[in-house]
Amino acid sequence: MLKIINGGIEVLVEDWPGRLGYLGMGMSASGAFDNLALGFANLLVGNSPGEAGLEITGGFLEAQFARDTVIAVTGTDMKPTLNGESLPMWQSVAVNRGDTVKFGHIGEYGFRCYLGVAGGIDVPAYLGSKSTCIFGGYGGFEGRKLAAGDELKLGAPRGALQDLAGRRLKDGVRPDYQRQWQLRAIPGPNTSPDYVTEEGMDLLFSKSFKINHNSNRSAYRLDPLPESFFARPDGGVGGSHPSNILDHAYAIRGALNICGNTPILLIADGPTLGGYMCALNVINADLWKIGQGTPGRDSITFRMVGQQEATEARRAQKELLSEASLA
Amino acid sequence: MKGNKYDVILDTMPETPSRLEILFRQAGDGFLQVEYGREQRAALQDSFRILAVNDIIRARQINGLIETVPGLRTNLFHFDPQALSSADLIAQIKEAEDSMPTIDDVVLESRVIHLPLAFEDSETKKAVQKYVKEVRPDAPNVINGYNLEYMALCNGVTVAEAKNMILGTEWFNSGCGFWPGGAFLWPVDPRCALVVPKYNPPRTWTPEGAAGIGGPCVFTYTTPTGGGYQLFGRTIPTFQFSCKHPIFKEGPFLYRPADRVKFHEVQEQEILDIFDHVHNKTDYRYQIESGQVVAKDYLTWVHSEEVQNGVRELKAKQAEGVRKAPRL
Repeated sequence: MLKIINGGIEVLVEDWPGRLGYLGMGMSASGAFDNLALGFANLLVGNSPGEAGLEITGGFLEAQFARDTVIAVTGTDMKPTLNGESLPMWQSVAVNRGDTVKFGHIGEYGFRCYLGVAGGIDVPAYLGSKSTCIFGGYGGFEGRKLAAGDELKLGAPRGALQDLAGRRLKDGVRPDYQRQWQLRAIPGPNTSPDYVTEEGMDLLFSKSFKINHNSNRSAYRLDPLPESFFARPDGGVGGSHPSNILDHAYAIRGALNICGNTPILLIADGPTLGGYMCALNVINADLWKIGQGTPGRDSITFRMVGQQEATEARRAQKELLSEASLA
Repeated sequence: MKGNKYDVILDTMPETPSRLEILFRQAGDGFLQVEYGREQRAALQDSFRILAVNDIIRARQINGLIETVPGLRTNLFHFDPQALSSADLIAQIKEAEDSMPTIDDVVLESRVIHLPLAFEDSETKKAVQKYVKEVRPDAPNVINGYNLEYMALCNGVTVAEAKNMILGTEWFNSGCGFWPGGAFLWPVDPRCALVVPKYNPPRTWTPEGAAGIGGPCVFTYTTPTGGGYQLFGRTIPTFQFSCKHPIFKEGPFLYRPADRVKFHEVQEQEILDIFDHVHNKTDYRYQIESGQVVAKDYLTWVHSEEVQNGVRELKAKQAEGVRKAPRL
């Protein structure tokens, strides 16, 4: 069991790939915002990469273990401590019953950190996933962020604790965190010539967009686009603004929704359907970078790629999240 | 076919007498959007066909196809490109389309769900009052403490006529979404097609079961949430997270794509009683009939002189209404 002493700013139970198969019922997939960091945390403690762990946003989580286990912390460096001593990240560490982990604020690079525990966080799966959808208030631990006094059950470790402790990643495996995140993306479904000018698409794939401070697990808002972005004077029967369209499904996770003049990345808990066009889609293998993008501080650029590179990137990421990455 | 580097139309199917041109648009490394026609057209026959084709494709259980998300004139295919290429997926969709060459072939399984509705009930009235108090004190869409008079005003009809339009047609679900379990409900009878602007800015709270209209679509709120539709009353639960009631034993959702909703008027107390029998006693019996939508019959009826005369009359009233109603 893991007892929460301080729930911090926003700590959620998340897994990967999340709650797939319910987009058509109005439910987004949710899931870890940085699936790569969660995957490494799980790998280090002997779990399958998609097992449920804690996603720590903004920091200040404090929690106590009610049993001996093995943990790993990945993601942004929130200066975690174990019983007041510095806790090394990106490796698995044995903890004893009664030990306390504590996290500071966000790191210099990246925004979210992940706590993996041997055996995973044991919450009931809802519609096939342990992920929390914070906006709908379902999944995860009682459909909400964690608070002081919560007691989380832990799953059964997949090996002897002494074998799971002290595992590290090979050199060069750890992802590189920056303040300028380059996201590979595929254009569509609404591009030039019919919805966006060619000049507008060129801008999308060259400009550096600051992440607006008003961003969350549903939507990452970016700098506004100029009027010259749009190829149409209005949205026809979809509405008066050229970004309007008759309601269509949003290709989440990863769609860049154009809402009025504001481009918005629709991610984990985003809306499944709506009346605004979508100009590009971040490839699946790069979704994790959005989760490490720090609102109000970091920037995003988009690089256009084709299907082949995107599919290859999925394969490479899967390979990365395997025992072969362990030192 | 690639005119410029941002052309995302991977393939097309030509227009036929029974359907529009079909565009296959790239929408991500695991997403394909199928779109009917190049114009933004809101026509139910497009939705009937999209859903009929959707049924065929889902029945095939294609390896690598994760899910589909139908909308009024589009369908989004979510797939795993490591298991299924977009070219193979397009080939399968084309086959399904070709299996329905004429309008006679477009027949859709479509249930009718009968929902009791209390107009201007106290819970949705609270939501409107809260909006006026906390969000927009001068909201022009709130007249005498509610949205019904504004809805009528926008359409050049009386409140009684607006209510009769809501009660007088079946409402067709072109696909679920926006909010868990939510359905986009379109009037089957175009003579009942109310059109209203959405709240500006939106509400912060709407009770579960609230029934509202935004643009041409009716929506019944599945859980308490914010929202932007003009509220006209309250119906019974259409969603249940806990899945305790037997109708929700397969999942928390009541609505399926292609369902039709028919409202009938009741007193508020009956709604409250049913809430108790759905969520607590779990013994309420939903009134649901199985049925079909036959696209050809719908088109014949909708193009009949009687219906078209009614549509012309309504449009004239609406043109007048739009002139008179304050903008939001």
